[in-house]
Order: sequence, then structure tokens, then C-alpha cells
Amino acid sequence: MAEVEDTLKRIQSINGVIGTIVVNAEGIPIRSTLDNSTSVQYAGLLHQLTMKARGTVRDIDPQNDLSFLRIRSKKHEIMVSTGGL
Amino acid sequence: MFTDETLDIIGAESTWRKSHQQTQESRSCQTLPVDTAEVETQARDVSDNSTQTQDQISQTLSLDRDISDFPGLLDFLHKVEDIVIKELVKNSKSHAFDGFRVNWEDQTESVSCMYRLQHVEAQERGLQVTGVSWNCTGSVIGCGFGRVDDGDWSNEKAYVCTWNLDRQNLNPKRPDVIIDVPTPVMCLCFHPVRPSVVAGGLYSGEVVVWDTSRSQDLILAQTGMSADTHREPVFQVSWVPGARRGEFMVLSAGSGGRVLLWTVDGAEAKLILSSGYALVQQQVPQCGAASRTRGSTTIGVTSVALSPWDLDTFLVGSEGGLVLKCSFSSETVSAVPPDGESVTLRAPVQFSFSPLGGPVHSVHFSPFHRNLFVSVGTDGLAHLHTVLQPRPLLSLRVSDSYVFGVRWSPTRPLVFAAATGQGLVQMFDLGRRSLRPAATVDQNTSGQPTYCLEFNPKHTNLMAVGNADGSVNIWQLSAELTEQGAKETAVLEQLANEVVD
Repeated sequence: MAEVEDTLKRIQSINGVIGTIVVNAEGIPIRSTLDNSTSVQYAGLLHQLTMKARGTVRDIDPQNDLSFLRIRSKKHEIMVSTGGL
Repeated sequence: MFTDETLDIIGAESTWRKSHQQTQESRSCQTLPVDTAEVETQARDVSDNSTQTQDQISQTLSLDRDISDFPGLLDFLHKVEDIVIKELVKNSKSHAFDGFRVNWEDQTESVSCMYRLQHVEAQERGLQVTGVSWNCTGSVIGCGFGRVDDGDWSNEKAYVCTWNLDRQNLNPKRPDVIIDVPTPVMCLCFHPVRPSVVAGGLYSGEVVVWDTSRSQDLILAQTGMSADTHREPVFQVSWVPGARRGEFMVLSAGSGGRVLLWTVDGAEAKLILSSGYALVQQQVPQCGAASRTRGSTTIGVTSVALSPWDLDTFLVGSEGGLVLKCSFSSETVSAVPPDGESVTLRAPVQFSFSPLGGPVHSVHFSPFHRNLFVSVGTDGLAHLHTVLQPRPLLSLRVSDSYVFGVRWSPTRPLVFAAATGQGLVQMFDLGRRSLRPAATVDQNTSGQPTYCLEFNPKHTNLMAVGNADGSVNIWQLSAELTEQGAKETAVLEQLANEVVD
């Protein structure tokens, strides 16, 4: 489907974006602009962190849900957007 | 008339012999009856279970599956696309984190000398430290003693000493392991995987591999004197990955113009020549500099650098000032007449860079950029080269005397350190505007040269420096010299892409 590819291309072409990974509900990457091993590593680690963050948000307020997670490190920033808008 | 008389037997009791039968007592015992009971069980329900691991490939294959397998994908992307793009654009314009530095650990503000390691006997005899090497775990520093200033053939005994810096009772004046060596040691290199194995190149041309974990006879393998070995001092030893995974070969390069690869045969305690390269003047592609000598003269090798990015490439620095790019897989046969070696020597040179004025003492590839390397020699300058062109990108004045060693910092892409003949280690930061050194570390050797330096691969703020007065100084570097700042790799990339006119 061209629309999916277009959307991903639009996101990837923004200034400063190094890579984009789309991850399914089990934490397995389904589309990525990085190589296989890197994608799998990032997906696995971020899935766990996202689940933890989501749990934290919902423990504080059960009506709330995680919408965006940003991790800023010295060298890069990782932005995670979940489906729970 | 005469009959036999039979008499009764007469017996007499012995007065002194007593019956040996002692008094006897009889006892018996018996255990109480043992209780036993028998019980039987029988399983009514039986269930079988087994597990099996699956190849991990199935996880990554999902990246190639068709998008139509994921029905909700398009809806999800529609939902999140706007917010993601908004955040990304905001981020690229944001100044929120400019100049924001994070410090998880205590910052050391200055460079300090942690230890000054010495071997008293070597110092008394005036031996100099010719090579230092950290082991793969970063806790043991080894140094080899020898002589660099002596022009003569020497047979004086030398040492290889190691200190374990992580031990509590470290005595800087007494090494943990002292290995006696029959000839001066010119270079040293620890094994990249096994923490106790170290290879050394000797003045006599031999290459020896020691195993410091053994209690007796520390020699694991040596070349011995055969037709295969170097005839001239070996200036550099390194471990290179071998044919099979996990196997390593020893690379040795000497001033006889030979670069040889040895496999370790532990059973025979020998190093077996597996392939060799010989460098001769005629087989070097000239880059414009006229060759001053005619005939087939061998090029004495003084330093070798292995590329961490490309396993096939290595750089050779020679006594005549040439810096040459060579390849392990070259097939051309060398022009050197065979001298009884067991393998045919090949000519590895592919490209020659602009020559220096004197012997090239050290060459080192940058661990952060695949094309950059730095070389130093007796002209007192540090030349920053890219592999793609013969002329250097940058030449920095390091000192007024010879420069003996240079190493890139393992954590900061723009920093390298050089060891000078005046006993100073100059550290340069290419990110700064000025061409003066970022830091000067004085080795306190009262003017005697510093021959070698190595950064610790695991504890990256430690640096070991070997001096001509027989001491090894361990320095702890300041946070400024070891913490990588933002965008350093980008600046390095920019530097590498400049083309000198």
C-alpha cells in the first residue's frame, strides 16, 4: 500500500531523523529504515520501556494513557509514539 | 621267651606352660526389628511436554512481510503521523537542550598521575621501556624493556613485566610478573581475548608468545631461529583475526622489510609461519617523489597499523619515511629472492602516501572514521591523513624533537595523544580552533624521551606511558579529555572530507 510507504517516507525525510521503526503490539518490528539487528534491538528494548511507562501513567490515573515517550541521550533522542491517543 | 614290653605312656604336666586359652566372654547384640512399609503409587493422568528454541530469523523476517498482513497499520499511521511530525519539527528547531551537559559521575578536573611503575633491576641497568600494552580486561599493564638508542647488536638480557592495577596491594616498584628475556624487547601486545597471553618482538628478530597464567615456563610459543624468522629487530607485533572465528594470528614486522603472519601452535610451542609479505623499493607505486636508491632494497618497517573497519587493509610506516597502504589479500609475488622460507612472500603495497623526512615511528587508524589515520616520525609533526589521497589533510607541530608514538583517544573522536622525545605527552583536540595542544602531560623524566603510550580499552580515562628512564606512568585523564561531546563525529566527518588543493 503506497500510503503507508508515503507516510513513512515523510517522517524519515524530516531534518535530523536517523531512522524510523514501526513496531507491532508484541514488540516485533514490522517496518524499519535501519538494519535488521539494530531494529530488533531497539524494538525489544523500547517495547519493555514503553510498557513500563504506560503502566506508570495508568497507575497514576486509570483514565489516562501514554501517548508519547521521548528519551533524550547525549548523542541522540528517541521518540516513541504509541497508538493510545 | 623274649617279648616286647609295652609300657603305659607317662606324661608330666608342664609347670611353666599354661594353657593359651584365655578367658572367653561371649556377647551378642541384636538390633531392634526394623520397621518397613511398602507403598505404591500410580499416575492416573500422564502429560508430555517439550520445548524447543526457534531460530531468531523468524523475528527479523517479519520486516519483509507484505503490508497487507497488518490490517491496522494504516489506521495507526494516520493517527500518529501528525503528532510525530509536529514533534520532530519542533525538535529540530528547539534550543531547549543547547549547552545542556549531563554528568552521571564525578568529574575529574585535571590529569593526575596515578602510579609510577618501575622495575628496579631494569632501571639499574639503564634499560628503557620500549613497549606498553594493556590486556583485554583493562586491569593489567605490561611493559617490555629494551634499548632504542643503541646501534649495536646487543645480547643483553631484558625483561617483560606486568602489573595488575586492580589489586589492593599494588607495589609500584615490584611487578607482579617478571619474565626474563634473552635479548631486548622491542614491542609488546596483549591478546585481544585471552587476558593472560602476550606477544613480544625481540631485537634478535624472534617473536615470542608468553602466557602469564602459567606457573612455570611462561613461553607459550616462539619462532625460534629458522629460515622463516626475521633477521632484523622486530618493531611491531599485533594480533589479527585468523581464518576461523575466535582464532588469532600474530603479525610481526621488522626492519628487514618483512611483515609475517604466524599461527600459534600450542602443542609444539612454536609459531608457524602462515603467510608473509616483503616490501621492496621497486614494488612501491610512487606518488611523485623520486626514488633515491636504485636496485631492490628492502624497506625496513618501523610501525604497522591495522584498520578496525576494513580487515584487509593495513598501513606500514618505514625507516625511510614512507607510509604505505597495504592489503592482506594481495596476490603479487614479492621481488625479494626466496631465502629458504616455507611460504612465498607477497608484495602487499597498494598505495603510497607522501613521505616524511625520517623514520615513521608510529601510525594509528582512527577508531571513529574509516578513512582517517595519523602518523608521526622524526620531523616533530603529526600528520593527519585520509586514506584516499597522498597528501596529508593537516600537519600539527607536536614538538621540536622526535615524536615516538601517537594514539587516537578511544572515546573522543577528535582527540589524539603523541609521545615526544622531550618526555612530554601532547594531547591535541581537533575541535578547538588553535593548533596548540589541549593538554601537555609531563612525564617527569628530566628530559629523557617517552617512547610509547597506550589508552586503556576498558577504563578509557587511563593512559599508560613508557619512558626512557625505565618507568611507566599511569595517568588518569580529566573528564574534558575523555567525555565525548555532541556532534564530534560530525566534525570529524567534515574534516575528513576536506580536500587539500
